[in-house]
Order: sequence, then structure tokens, then C-alpha cells
Amino acid sequence: MSPSQQPTSTNPSSLKNQFAHRFIRALKTLNHTKTGAAHDHNQMYRRSIRVKIASYTAMASVVGSRRAWSRAVLWKIIKRSRNQGLLLRKRKRRNPNPKREDFNPFRNSGQELKLRKLVPGAETMDSWCLMGETADYIKCLVAQVEVMKTLVDLYSIT
Amino acid sequence: MSSRRSRGIPRITDEQIIELVSKLQQLLPELRNRRSNKASASKVLQETCNYVRSLHKEVDDLSDRLSRLLSTIDDDSPQASIIRSLIN
Repeated sequence: MSPSQQPTSTNPSSLKNQFAHRFIRALKTLNHTKTGAAHDHNQMYRRSIRVKIASYTAMASVVGSRRAWSRAVLWKIIKRSRNQGLLLRKRKRRNPNPKREDFNPFRNSGQELKLRKLVPGAETMDSWCLMGETADYIKCLVAQVEVMKTLVDLYSIT
Repeated sequence: MSSRRSRGIPRITDEQIIELVSKLQQLLPELRNRRSNKASASKVLQETCNYVRSLHKEVDDLSDRLSRLLSTIDDDSPQASIIRSLIN
């Protein structure tokens, strides 16, 4: 974590750098655990899933605990790896910002519910937080996609 | 749904709502180029959902391609250092 990072906004190029470092590291680990039958379809599908999970995990770990969406992603990964669904209960923050009323102008509109399903951790937050989380999530997704495209291009050359 | 309504809380103004929606709109490639920055909130939400879905799909596709490419690489250390130096 570089000390020059601002707490509320993320510099796009530093975000991409940090994501690239972690993601490439994860890819190297994945590469070293490959088995002999690389052309088996099931094997290929599972590797593809692992790459996808590594990608989302790398981005969420760069953002860390700063954002509700990244906490939700990391929590899901931790839960999955520990396999202890019953014992660990997530603490729900009812209203993290007690200085204003709950903000719900789009109250129960179909689109907002769809958005809550797309953004991790967004199901219980109020609409104000949802907008902010969505904006940050989109910025990070865009950075993630750009780095992955670069990697695909580079690996395709050799 | 219980909401706290005590006197001292500043109410969210209409300007704040409009500003929030327009900030979100700036991120969306579909709506960013339009001259009128007054797309309706529901349109912005709809475009946001579509955009997030398309980004998820792109991550899926790129993961699939990367996993296939990875399996064709034997020694990955020269590529990894090249990649790092190019990204930085």
C-alpha cells in the first residue's frame, strides 16, 4: 500500500499497477499448479474460473477495506475458503453515516434492485451509499478489464 | 423500515441528488457523450446496470482467454517481468 494513496479516491494508474502486480502473482501461482491434462475441457473451465476469481480477489484486495463492495468480495472469498458458513456471521452496519436520514429517492424501483444484485455488498445500504459504491466499483472494474486486456495481448504475442 | 428523524440532520437536497446522478452518468460510456447532461435517474440506473453487466462479461471472457494462454506458457518469468515493466 503506497502512502501516497488518498483514502477516498483511487488514482487510476496506481490502481492498475497494484492490481497488475497482485494479479500476475496469482497467475504465476495458478500456472505452477497446473496438471498434465491441459486440454481436458473440464480442466480448462476450472482454470478459467480460477483466473476469474483471482482477478476479482486481486482488485478487491487492492481496494481493501475502504469500500463496502471490496469488503463483500473479500468476505465471500474468505468464507468460501474457510468453509464455515454457520459459525462466522457478518456484522451488518445498519447506518454507517448517522448524520443524515436514510436516502431512498428511487425507492424500490426495479432498476435499483437490479443494481443492488450486481454490486457486491450493496443489498442493505441506502441509495446514497449505493451510488457511491457503484461509481467506485465501475472505476475498479474498468481498470481490471484494461489490465486483463493488456495481459492477453502480451501473452498472445509470445 | 425505521429511519431516524431528529431535528439537526441536514436534509438531502435536490441538487445533491442531481449531482450524484450526473456523477454516475459521467462514468457511463453510453451517456457520457450526450450534450444534455440531464438523463433521467431511471435511465442512468438502467445504463449503469447494463454497463456493470457488460464489464462482468468482459472479465469472464478475458479470464477464459487468459487461462488458455497461460497453459501454453512454460517458463513465465521473462514474460512476467516484461509485463511488469510495460505496465509501469
